[in-house]
Amino acid sequence: MGPVTEQDAPTARVRVVVVDDHPMWRDGVRADLERDGRFLVVAEAGDVAGAVRVVTAHRPDLVLMDLNLPGGSGSEAIAEVMATLPRTRVLVLSASAEQADVLAAVKAGAAGYLLKSSTGETLLAAAHQVVAGEPVFSPSLAALVLGEFRRVAAGGGATEVTGLTERETEILRYVAKGYAYKDVAERLVISVRTVQNHVQNILRKLQLGSRYELMRFAMDRGLDQEG
Amino acid sequence: MSSPTQAQEALLARAERPDALLDGVLVVRWCVVVWLAVLLTSGLAGVPRPPLGWVALGLAGGWTLWLTLARPRWGTPSLVVDAVVCGLLLVVAAVAPAVATVYPVAAALTWGARRGLRGGAVAGALLGAVFVVAHVVVGTATSLPVDGRPDGTMLAVLGNAFSLVLAGAGVGLLSTLLQRSAAALAVAQADRLRSREQAARLAERDEVSRAVHDSALQVLAMVHKRGRELARQERVEPQQVAALAELAAEQERALRDLVLSPVGPQPTAVGALTPLRPRLEQAARRLTGDLQVEVSTVGDLDLPAPVVAGLGAAVDQALGNVLRHAGTPRAWLFAERDGEEVLLSVRDDGRGFVLDEAALVAAGRLGLLQSIRGRVEQLGGRLDVDTAPGRGTELQLRVPAPTTTPGDEHGARD
Repeated sequence: MGPVTEQDAPTARVRVVVVDDHPMWRDGVRADLERDGRFLVVAEAGDVAGAVRVVTAHRPDLVLMDLNLPGGSGSEAIAEVMATLPRTRVLVLSASAEQADVLAAVKAGAAGYLLKSSTGETLLAAAHQVVAGEPVFSPSLAALVLGEFRRVAAGGGATEVTGLTERETEILRYVAKGYAYKDVAERLVISVRTVQNHVQNILRKLQLGSRYELMRFAMDRGLDQEG
Repeated sequence: MSSPTQAQEALLARAERPDALLDGVLVVRWCVVVWLAVLLTSGLAGVPRPPLGWVALGLAGGWTLWLTLARPRWGTPSLVVDAVVCGLLLVVAAVAPAVATVYPVAAALTWGARRGLRGGAVAGALLGAVFVVAHVVVGTATSLPVDGRPDGTMLAVLGNAFSLVLAGAGVGLLSTLLQRSAAALAVAQADRLRSREQAARLAERDEVSRAVHDSALQVLAMVHKRGRELARQERVEPQQVAALAELAAEQERALRDLVLSPVGPQPTAVGALTPLRPRLEQAARRLTGDLQVEVSTVGDLDLPAPVVAGLGAAVDQALGNVLRHAGTPRAWLFAERDGEEVLLSVRDDGRGFVLDEAALVAAGRLGLLQSIRGRVEQLGGRLDVDTAPGRGTELQLRVPAPTTTPGDEHGARD
């Protein structure tokens, strides 16, 4: 929705879209990002439809997305964006979102989740991380994902492709306890890179699993309607 | 409260010698009386001097009948009378052998049962002496060796006397042993009762001190810390001071309740399941502003209310510890179900410490760890501490939490 403030700095700066229904919040995030010097906020939006419109128009490197939006949930916007621009990185910034919403956002393709109470430094670090292709797993997100895999496994829906390995479970548990990747690497005597790979695999499995579930759901529905 | 040895002595003094022995002796008396009657009426064994025999039977039977009807408590008078009666019977026996030598054994037995080893032995010896003396006197007076074998007679008399001593001493020993073991049993029972009471009292005191440790000390520490901070500030907002005052007031009320309640903190309703997560969030919120605590749980983790209460209190305490000692503004709470257990982790990235109990005692920090451990153990669980200097601290609390329903707890459903 907000005014498009495209600036002619096409070089190395990361192009960002901020989606939130509070203008003051957007201003704050923009200030944080631009103070860093490596980010450029190219557009802002305040609702789901505006977010989809702005992102498709600007094709940013990064979207900072709130989940409680007028006109729907942020995860709907993420799903729509990912459908057309699957390479977009989305970092969710949420105040105290319902766990289900956060999980839906990650399943829809968000690469990370931060609480709005996080410091500016944390936000910048997370933004860089997401742009570099590394998922940002906050402890609560890790626990949430762990629970989701458990749920799927308990329902008999886990396959070799969508289920967690023991190592992946171990890593998720460490992250859920607040250990940074480098601490996890140190404790498991593996490289930080390996930890990141594991985390990426976990996210991929989650998204894959959710697509598989959706498919099964659709098939069940189809069969029901036939009968 | 008396000391155990005093109590033991008192019990020993009070313990009655078992009456069963005396009842047994009475039965023996009747058997002997009946046997005597059979002997006299049937004319068996060629009993000499039957008139004296009838006297003996009358004496023994009458005394036994009286004992049976009156059931004396066997104080000194009845014991003495018994000894006299039996002494008389022994004198009769010296004159008319084979008639009344058996009954007097009952007196030795009774003395033993009543007065122990020494009483039994002395009574037996006295009766034996009476028997021997009577024999000697009667023997010289009549100068008629019984059975025509004087040597054999004297030996038999001495043997009879000796068996009286043995009977008295034997039953006396038995009675003493029985009395001692009965007393020991009573002492042991009293001890067990006392130690159980003591354990209950200790557990109660533990519970109370944990509750005090928990909230009151924590709040005192916070008031202390915030108070100093406020004192350093140039301008102090009135509501900041009011908030501190409110904290203190809340604890004052809680302490007052604690002191007034007879059994310490009341457990919440038993049986109901309570979600753990809100309690963890509450623990995290308590320290907002001083410590940033991130709570992450796998599901809501519905647990019995006492488990949630116990874990919540342990977490309050652990976070207070982080605030005071870890030197970091961040901590994490993590909880998940792991099979039949719930795993709860309290972690900080602070300065950590050397897990050396002696050093911790010196620093006054072991008490707190033990208090947390006490809570966890009360829930049937265990506490593991993972820490090292510079590497933060993680407390792992594991408590049993049997699954009520198969499948998983409230995983977020999309």
